[in-house]
Amino acid sequence: MAHNFKTDVTVDWCPGCGDFGILTSIQQSMAELNIDPLGVVMVSGIGCSGKTPHYINVGGIHTLHGRSIPFATGVKLSNPNLKVVVTGGDGDLMGIGVGHLVAEGRRNSGLTIMIYDNEVYGLTKGQAAPTMPLEQKTKSLSRPNIFTRLNPIALALSSGYSFVARGFSFDMKQLKEIIKKAMNHPGSAVIDILQPCPTYNNINTMEWYKERVYKLEDDKNWNPLVSKENIADADSIFAMSMARAQEWGDKIPTGIFYRNTALDPFPVRISKNVPNYFETVPAEQRISSADGYTVVDAEKTFEDRLIG
Amino acid sequence: MKKRKRLHLKTILIKNQYPILMTKVDINITVGGPQGGGIDTSSNMISRAFAQSGYFVFGVREYHSNIKGRHSYTHVRIKDERPRSLKYPIDFLVALDPDSIFEHLEDVGHGTKIIYDSAIEKAELSQARMIMKDTALKIKETLTEESYPNTISGAIAWMKSRGAIPIAVPFTSVVQQAISGGVPSRYFNTLGAALTLAISGVNIKHMNESIRLVFSGKDKIIEENIAVVKAAYDYCSQNKLASETLPDIDHPKRYMLTGNDGAAIGKMMGGLRFQTYYPITPASDESTIMEEHNYIRWVDSEASKLKEAGIVVVQTEDEISAITMAIGAALTGTRTATATSGPGFSLMAEGFSFAGTDEVPLVVTLYQRGGPSTGLPTRNGQSDLLFAMNTGHGEFPRIVMSSGDVEECIYDSMKALNYAQRYQMPIIHLIDKNLANTSDFISGIDGKKVPVNATKFEVHGLNFKRYDLNTKNGISNLGAFGKDIFWMTGDEHDELGHVTEDSDVRDRMMVKRFTKLETADSEIPLEDKAILYGDKNAEVTFVTWGSQKGPILDVIDLLAEEGIKANLLYVKMFIPFPTKFVTDILSKAKIVIDVESNFLGQLAEVIMGKTGIKIENRILKYNGRHMTEDEILSASREIINNKEKKVEKVLKHGA
Repeated sequence: MAHNFKTDVTVDWCPGCGDFGILTSIQQSMAELNIDPLGVVMVSGIGCSGKTPHYINVGGIHTLHGRSIPFATGVKLSNPNLKVVVTGGDGDLMGIGVGHLVAEGRRNSGLTIMIYDNEVYGLTKGQAAPTMPLEQKTKSLSRPNIFTRLNPIALALSSGYSFVARGFSFDMKQLKEIIKKAMNHPGSAVIDILQPCPTYNNINTMEWYKERVYKLEDDKNWNPLVSKENIADADSIFAMSMARAQEWGDKIPTGIFYRNTALDPFPVRISKNVPNYFETVPAEQRISSADGYTVVDAEKTFEDRLIG
Repeated sequence: MKKRKRLHLKTILIKNQYPILMTKVDINITVGGPQGGGIDTSSNMISRAFAQSGYFVFGVREYHSNIKGRHSYTHVRIKDERPRSLKYPIDFLVALDPDSIFEHLEDVGHGTKIIYDSAIEKAELSQARMIMKDTALKIKETLTEESYPNTISGAIAWMKSRGAIPIAVPFTSVVQQAISGGVPSRYFNTLGAALTLAISGVNIKHMNESIRLVFSGKDKIIEENIAVVKAAYDYCSQNKLASETLPDIDHPKRYMLTGNDGAAIGKMMGGLRFQTYYPITPASDESTIMEEHNYIRWVDSEASKLKEAGIVVVQTEDEISAITMAIGAALTGTRTATATSGPGFSLMAEGFSFAGTDEVPLVVTLYQRGGPSTGLPTRNGQSDLLFAMNTGHGEFPRIVMSSGDVEECIYDSMKALNYAQRYQMPIIHLIDKNLANTSDFISGIDGKKVPVNATKFEVHGLNFKRYDLNTKNGISNLGAFGKDIFWMTGDEHDELGHVTEDSDVRDRMMVKRFTKLETADSEIPLEDKAILYGDKNAEVTFVTWGSQKGPILDVIDLLAEEGIKANLLYVKMFIPFPTKFVTDILSKAKIVIDVESNFLGQLAEVIMGKTGIKIENRILKYNGRHMTEDEILSASREIINNKEKKVEKVLKHGA
């Protein structure tokens, strides 16, 4: 019998919340990929998005505000056989936790990172999040937003992510396909997911997005893949992706902006320094002998400290 | 009893060609120079040469928060038995630059030999711009007060008036006798070491062997340095500076290790396979040492069964990432740790609280330096004990322990990893900067001293209750991602790990978590919490923790020679605290002296809180420098001889 990726925890997001579409897309992706439920771990931060792992029947860590990425990286690097998925809000991943988002781009550990992007901090009553444009005044703000908008796609690209995409929570078919591709991508992926917050964001509603989104893949010539074969074109492909990342307003592109399979994921880089890293992952190493003592010969390992 | 044992050892240890009992060797050497000027190499050569001839060397490194130019030095003590502390006044001051003369004015005394470059005699204090302004002012006052000129000559004369013996050597011309071309000052560190060894009588063959080891694989450099050594020894014999050759003594094989080394070794032996860190003094050395030695060599009995493997060490973007990444790794069943120092641990507080409530087996090795804030970033301190006992919001159990010498760093690190997994809680292992940078000779690393109690991770199947409340000791089965499905959350949680705000479950989870601490308290042996060194019935009881252990034990021996019987209550664990043991000892003790490297007397505060016993006499030091045998001894004498009840001595020494 196929594993049911749902738990019996009551989902307590507001009616009409974009999070439902994301949750269903994640569950469907896992089912369609026929993923071993023991082989995947969901990691989240704080906020409405943070509750996601509790609703999915795989291992889940609901961590601290902004810190889901380093938690997830620890899981991944200590056991690179696991698939690790991060869910977080725009405030969580690009406000308080933006340093980790950037650092993970430089690592490329192999995480699938989904940014629930609704421009507000929902759980704390609708303050402006980093993706809200300057001068925008949603209903819970007492004054218009005085920060400029952070561009998640451009940020992910400049941070070095090897898979950068955008989905829309009301287009689950497209989102599901993006998630599946991201989970099968060897490096780290960022998926910016547009979603309404029906309670606090009265401007960027479902209708607002529906009128604006279009799919990159509808253009048959759109191919943002950098691989070992076309590595010579890497710079021009990156420039093309970055140019598309600037589009916002009347037309908002969704789909895969950039994919790079030529860049070694972090675990591969580690394996060059740590013997048999993939064969005997840190989590699976035997650390004691049958009689319960260390297996490490410290005197040999630290032979260089022998002084005579 | 102890004396007799010492004599016995000596007779069997001395090689046959030296059948007579020699005088006790006890040499204190300070090598100073500009940071980046090869001071470490120089003191490494000295340590290795003495090691070759069989002696024990104990040393501490002092340095500024600076890459090049400012004054740094190492202070080593050489004895025929393993030293446990350093002592002033020193026997040798090896000055590789003018600053090293000025900075160590007060470290010299009767008979101190000052080896320096005769070319610097005219150097003026006002030109020594790398000396901190306040320090320069202090030196100026010291010299001016007795009408000595503010020059190296003046400083040398000042020291000579205290009985020091200046030995001015033309550094450049001695080097040029050995090597033509090149920059002579590049060899000053070797020259300084060689002069010291020649003057103290170390056989030249040991120095040459030491050079070969220090520059192993660099043949040309070895050749040049050996030529410099020969020139130095020749110079000393021509000028009648060389002492009689020190006899070689027989000795077991030994490892020269620092506290940082000890922690790295212990963690690797204790099963650590994942370590995170963000660069910070004095913690990062531990991680880089681990990285340098990450190809593990297995014990013989396992070598055929285990594939070659290593440790993963990850440098993170900040300390928040360091602790949370370590937690993530711990959740796959990997033994995991991070190492940091005060400022970094402040950033880790929130993650630490998560590890507490989510029962994560995690070790934080907390290296203490002078605080608060950036404080004295490269100097010693013990001011983070109360912080370690209270880090993080909310109430959750933790174990807080500390080490006091290099060997303890090894075995305590193993124990910390065992405790973390057994009690499923975060462990703070405190090591002070002085110990981190202490280099000591250890005869062997014992793989059987501490067992590795590895958790057997099983697949628990459906509805695995990671936080099962149905336990007597508070400890539920540890799960591992990859083998089990369960949840974790920083929120209060139910047995499966899902969020709950139910008032009863909340109460039961709080009790469950703190029950583990009672379990830990009942299972951890007393000797891992506190040790009483010396006679139970003593007139003086010292109380301390961390790296003052060695100097106090030396002071106890010296007081015994004066007819004063003293003992030491040495505390190693603060949570859980050995309340009964400490109460029993202190309630019967006569003169109690608390010795700590902080301002508040933090251990004394803890003891007061736990036992109600107030320790009135204190020897404290918070200027960032290590405590030495001589200053603890003189402060102790003052306290012992003082009839007043409360005496607080603040120690001031140290360049």
